[in-house]
Amino acid sequence: MITSIQRIYAIFTKDFKDLTKNLYVSTTFLLPLFYAFMLGRGSGMDSAYFLPLMVNMTFATVGTYIQSAIIAEEKENGTLRGLMLSPATTLEILTGKSVLSVLCSVVVFVVSLEFFDGPMTIPSAAWIGFIIMTIFYITLGTLVGLLSKSLMESSIFILPVIFILGMGTMFRDLMDEYAWFKVVEWMPNYQFEQLFQASDTSTIVAAIGWMIGWTALVVVVTLWLYQKRSFDE
Amino acid sequence: MIRLEKVYKSFDGKAALDGLEFQVDKGEIFGFLGPSGSGKTTTIKMLTGQLKPDRGHVEVFGQDVSNVTRPDLLQRIGIMTDNSNLYPRLTVLDNLNLYRSLYRVPIRRVKEVLEIVNLEGVEKKKTATLSKGMKQRVLLARALLHEPDLLFLDEPTAALDPINKERIHEGLRQLKANGTTIFLTTHDMQEAETLCDRVALLNGGRIVEEGAPVSLCQRFSDPIITIELKGGQVVTFENARESAKAIHDYMVNDQIVSIHTDEPTLGQVFIQVTGRNLA
Repeated sequence: MITSIQRIYAIFTKDFKDLTKNLYVSTTFLLPLFYAFMLGRGSGMDSAYFLPLMVNMTFATVGTYIQSAIIAEEKENGTLRGLMLSPATTLEILTGKSVLSVLCSVVVFVVSLEFFDGPMTIPSAAWIGFIIMTIFYITLGTLVGLLSKSLMESSIFILPVIFILGMGTMFRDLMDEYAWFKVVEWMPNYQFEQLFQASDTSTIVAAIGWMIGWTALVVVVTLWLYQKRSFDE
Repeated sequence: MIRLEKVYKSFDGKAALDGLEFQVDKGEIFGFLGPSGSGKTTTIKMLTGQLKPDRGHVEVFGQDVSNVTRPDLLQRIGIMTDNSNLYPRLTVLDNLNLYRSLYRVPIRRVKEVLEIVNLEGVEKKKTATLSKGMKQRVLLARALLHEPDLLFLDEPTAALDPINKERIHEGLRQLKANGTTIFLTTHDMQEAETLCDRVALLNGGRIVEEGAPVSLCQRFSDPIITIELKGGQVVTFENARESAKAIHDYMVNDQIVSIHTDEPTLGQVFIQVTGRNLA
């Protein structure tokens, strides 16, 4: 089976046209830019904290949310089943539907860097982490979309994702105060941050391992749910 | 083209299909008629790989439907069901172009299908602004884009006016002439009589009668001849053979205004067979 770029591009083009006419979803671009403006210029924040924070916030707010919104809206309108009943494969449909969310996230992230005026250092392991986290956040968005019955429902379901994954590491100080808050350390966003801050190889390998584990889990659950949604019971 | 053998399906312990069996041959327009909840949509979902039977054998293109990979099956079939939908913020052209790319058909095909469904000139309109009938025609155009070998149509003309209905019928006859097999559900008995080569009457998840519309109507007709005579008198004969001489005499004496047999419509046949109305 050959994956068709033409089909992926057609789905992306459709989503792009649809998103440009949907102000409700496209205004989510503003939230990470607002935080970048607040935290970036003149705050004296180290890039080892600023960069992973902005990646997590941008991908959770823009990537995951747009992805969940376009999937949930397709479900709500009854058009997702139409795609599933076309000859496009699962890979083509899910890839096509992810391209827009990835592009929007990357563009917003790059723009957010404009607000940072300190020296910027990106360790090589962080690039690997960036790819893993992109897959994680976009797939998580697909999962949230598949779980939601409507666009409005996905907007509610996404709130814990934005709070825990997008902003969770901002509450790092609470870990010392409340032992239960240490669960944040198991989260992929925290592990991603480790790639910028840790210097020993074992911590970096462990962080990448955690992130791969989380991503694999989300991918498996999403594919299972997608297949389930392709059939009636 | 399609074959079902002893197919059973139940939802929450209630039988939706109860030993359903039928066959559709290549190039036929096959009407699948039944009231709401009789199992029509369930059958279409099984034939298009959306639903698995509890028991029985479902075959499409000579293969068990569960053994056909979905992209291969879906490339050869066109589907328009009551839960098909369009992207409301996009234009008619954008909607059709998406599916044109998914089915990998040339761009000229969009113009051709818009002509079939009589929708030339609305390409730039957003589908949210279209009437229900127009949306239905866009959905039909979408199902025809890739010239499928097998077309599933669920109430394809339900929201259409007579002129557009006839235009669609013409298009479907043309598809049949080109070898497309059409599996059609409808509540419109006149549509079934004029369009379908064969129909199956579905009741309670099983087929209760099957055949060509004309032969079904004849099979269920009473052998009554009604003659209207000059002067307004109406006489009926229950057995034409025994009444031949009397009818002959009326004719010789030039007394007859009209003469006709009393055959039921397909809708009346359905009520006779099932005791239920189709609506």
